[in-house]
Amino acid sequence: MQNPYKPYPVRIRRIIIENDTRDLKTFELVFLNKEDEECFRYTPGQFAELSVYGAGESPIGIASSPTEKGFIKFTVKKMGVVTTALHNMEEGQVIGIRGPYGNWYPFHLMEGKDIVVIGGGFAFTTLRSAIVYMLHGENRKRFGKITCIYGARNAGELIYKPELKEWEERSDIDMYVTVDKLNGDPWPAREGFVPAVTKEIAPSSENSICLVCGPQIMIKFTIPVLTELGFPPDRIINSLEMRMKCGIGKCGRCNIGNRYVCKDGPIFSLAQLNEMPDEY
Amino acid sequence: MEEKVISREKVVTFIDTLIGKYYVFAPVKKKDFISFDEVKSGNEVYLGYRNSKDSPKRFLFPQSEVMLRYEKGRLIEEGPFDYGKRVIFGIRPCDIKGFSLLNKVFDNHDFRDPYFITKRDSIILIGMGCREPQTTCFCTSLGIDPGSSDGADLFITDIGNKYVFQILTSKGEGIISEYDGFNDAEKADLDMKEKVSEDAKERIRTKVEISGLKEKLDGMFEDPFWSDLHEKCIGCAICTYLCPTCHCFDIEDETVNDKGVRRRNWDSCMFPLFTLHTSGHNPRESGKERMRQRIMHKFNYFVSYWGDTACVGCGRCIINCPVNMDLRKVINNINHG
Amino acid sequence: MEIVERIREEARKALEEKKVELIIGFEEGSLPLRTTPAFIKSIDAVERLIWNATCENNLANYLLRLKIKGKVGIVAKGCDARSIINAIKERQIERDMVFIIGVPCTGMVDRKGIKERFDEAEILEAIEVNGQIKVKGERFEGSFNISDFLYDSCKTCTQKTPSLYDVIVGDEVKEREDVDEFREIREFEKKSPDERWAYFTREIESCIRCYACRNVCPLCYCKECFIDQSRPQWFGRSIDESDRMIFHIIRVFHTAGRCVDCGACERACPMGIDLRKLTKKVEKDVVELYNYKAGIDLETVPPLATYKEDDPQEFIK
Repeated sequence: MQNPYKPYPVRIRRIIIENDTRDLKTFELVFLNKEDEECFRYTPGQFAELSVYGAGESPIGIASSPTEKGFIKFTVKKMGVVTTALHNMEEGQVIGIRGPYGNWYPFHLMEGKDIVVIGGGFAFTTLRSAIVYMLHGENRKRFGKITCIYGARNAGELIYKPELKEWEERSDIDMYVTVDKLNGDPWPAREGFVPAVTKEIAPSSENSICLVCGPQIMIKFTIPVLTELGFPPDRIINSLEMRMKCGIGKCGRCNIGNRYVCKDGPIFSLAQLNEMPDEY
Repeated sequence: MEEKVISREKVVTFIDTLIGKYYVFAPVKKKDFISFDEVKSGNEVYLGYRNSKDSPKRFLFPQSEVMLRYEKGRLIEEGPFDYGKRVIFGIRPCDIKGFSLLNKVFDNHDFRDPYFITKRDSIILIGMGCREPQTTCFCTSLGIDPGSSDGADLFITDIGNKYVFQILTSKGEGIISEYDGFNDAEKADLDMKEKVSEDAKERIRTKVEISGLKEKLDGMFEDPFWSDLHEKCIGCAICTYLCPTCHCFDIEDETVNDKGVRRRNWDSCMFPLFTLHTSGHNPRESGKERMRQRIMHKFNYFVSYWGDTACVGCGRCIINCPVNMDLRKVINNINHG
Repeated sequence: MEIVERIREEARKALEEKKVELIIGFEEGSLPLRTTPAFIKSIDAVERLIWNATCENNLANYLLRLKIKGKVGIVAKGCDARSIINAIKERQIERDMVFIIGVPCTGMVDRKGIKERFDEAEILEAIEVNGQIKVKGERFEGSFNISDFLYDSCKTCTQKTPSLYDVIVGDEVKEREDVDEFREIREFEKKSPDERWAYFTREIESCIRCYACRNVCPLCYCKECFIDQSRPQWFGRSIDESDRMIFHIIRVFHTAGRCVDCGACERACPMGIDLRKLTKKVEKDVVELYNYKAGIDLETVPPLATYKEDDPQEFIK
């Protein structure tokens, strides 16, 4: 019998400091065993339990895309015991990973539609995964126009900066990178909160689906904008965060009503969330 | 189905025979209560009990267990480990039902939990029918018969001067064959067994209405009912830790120097820490949300997830609550509120 | 007028005059020999309040546990009142935010002690009449003097009548002066360290870490309990013997000079652990070293909140 609690060993190939505050780091991980990599097949939107022996485990959304071969990556905010331990690690060290867990962005519904991706702050990780996936080669033509609005407090807090700039240059994605306050940085040029920028850009809701991920406050103000633009609740897709331990629907803490965020989520449409108790 | 009988005295010898070959867990007297523990002699076993203080669920799902071992940041050994051949002697029908409810969580098509499954498969269950259920027992309301052998390998009924053993599985058959002191049950024995189990069922007068409860709770998440309900609850884990169906746990690393173990420990939805995010946000911030979660999980969420109610009517949470929170009353208030 | 009538009358008055938001008292429990805490918010509900020898919970706990806005009325026995005094001294509640209905208490009946009399048989009914408890089971009946079946903490209680109250219902109970409350502890101290350790180890063996002892205690109001801290994490969360022991040891140290020996921890423990052996020992030490008893008055400064040059300090060697 396979042991779902046994982490696969992975080596930290590269660590990238993502922000000026230096509390966001991206870890590129390589499987030590080829067979483990084969077992770890994921779709954008899923998460994994990162494991540092001695500190414990932490559920983190997968930031890489399955189209990127040979490694997986995670962007981790230094918050608690495990993430602090991770931040103290160096390239070349070995950690554990188990997963992938949870559901994924509803690509079966997204196909043939225009896609609006809205992200805020550090919650851009699995959205990045989805964008990379959609932009990849043959995948691109499965989707219509892709619009991405991404904001952070200031330029220093935007993650994946080189990639954002690269996407700005591309013609197959419309990028709108914004910061709450311009403070003389050469890039980006746009100032404004994500909800306001969304309102200004006003992406069409026609045959369109929207993925939203960000801080609670951003979500709260963005949803009314999307609703006004005509996005019905079943075409507004969110990803939730919860305290988790097992990741496989057994330990009992991450449920919202009768759904486990780890197993039935973390991706829920607004229509689903509206049906669920307000306990998250 | 085959039935055997054995005299009261010989049961002790039978248990002694098993002790050499299995780890035997049976009800024993401790202070002012009964609890299942490993026995080294048949004389320690106390079969005249009503029900044990705590649920024997810990033999499948221990309060704390090692999942894996690591050294210098590397995995060196993973479970499940060898737990040995084990017999649980004298477990009540409600607790056996508890096992089957845990089984839904730990062994399903999505993820199979090898720690639970290995222990389950290494255990032989010798169930025992109730003679004198307590007034806090309401198993029949949950569709459990205090004389039911469901889920057991062997099932004992105390008919006064002797015990009737029903053989239900090949594992049970194997256990019986370890000892030659059994006789075939006669009609009088079987009639007596029937009577004992009918009497026990009769004695359970507490009725709790479970049908329709799930549907009622469907619309009650925002009900003001929860605001008052939790007030007297002190938020300890007695009800959840003694419950045969509660299965929430935490996973944690324990390190000494470079070596350590990853453990699974019981956890409780009654503790604020259970859902506290590292950010400080807590979706179940007060006793109100936590009490609601406990009741909802048992009688609503579990039903929609696994098709059964996560309660066996054993009454442990009622008997042991320091502030006399009575689940039967809670359910009645939900039904009639 | 009976005590219960007077409690109701005071509760009714306080609610009517909008002096309080709610009254915390006792109501009929669902099991024989049990009452249950009641939260009375309307005048109609006042009738639910009762008083008898099974009102064993220390209600002061709720003043600290529930986030109640506004003034609260509370039915308080001697020990509950001592806990309230403590909470006021420790600046957890304000004196004028609590309306104390003091009830002189003659001691609470030890339900486990009575049950033990009937072995495994279940008590189906219990009534209190004139200082006696009459119990009935399926095949037995019995009658006991309540005074013979008091909780250990009640047997040695020296503050039966609340020393702090807004109104008092019932006649003052004569405090016993002959009571030797630390006799058991002195006996225990005579044992060798090995024997004491063995006793303690055996007791703690059955601890399931449900934290009922902590949660039921009016002293345990820390926002984050040491046992729950994760950064740094002081203790493991398993049932490892040393982790369980350390929990009880640290908990009891935290009660030093504060414990009023209400016995709530021991009564709450589902596993019957002799918790008072620990709390009472610390209480004795504080009495002997600092001549201080917790919760007696609002004025005396607790020993842990002050420093005197002649404070005993042998233990810091």
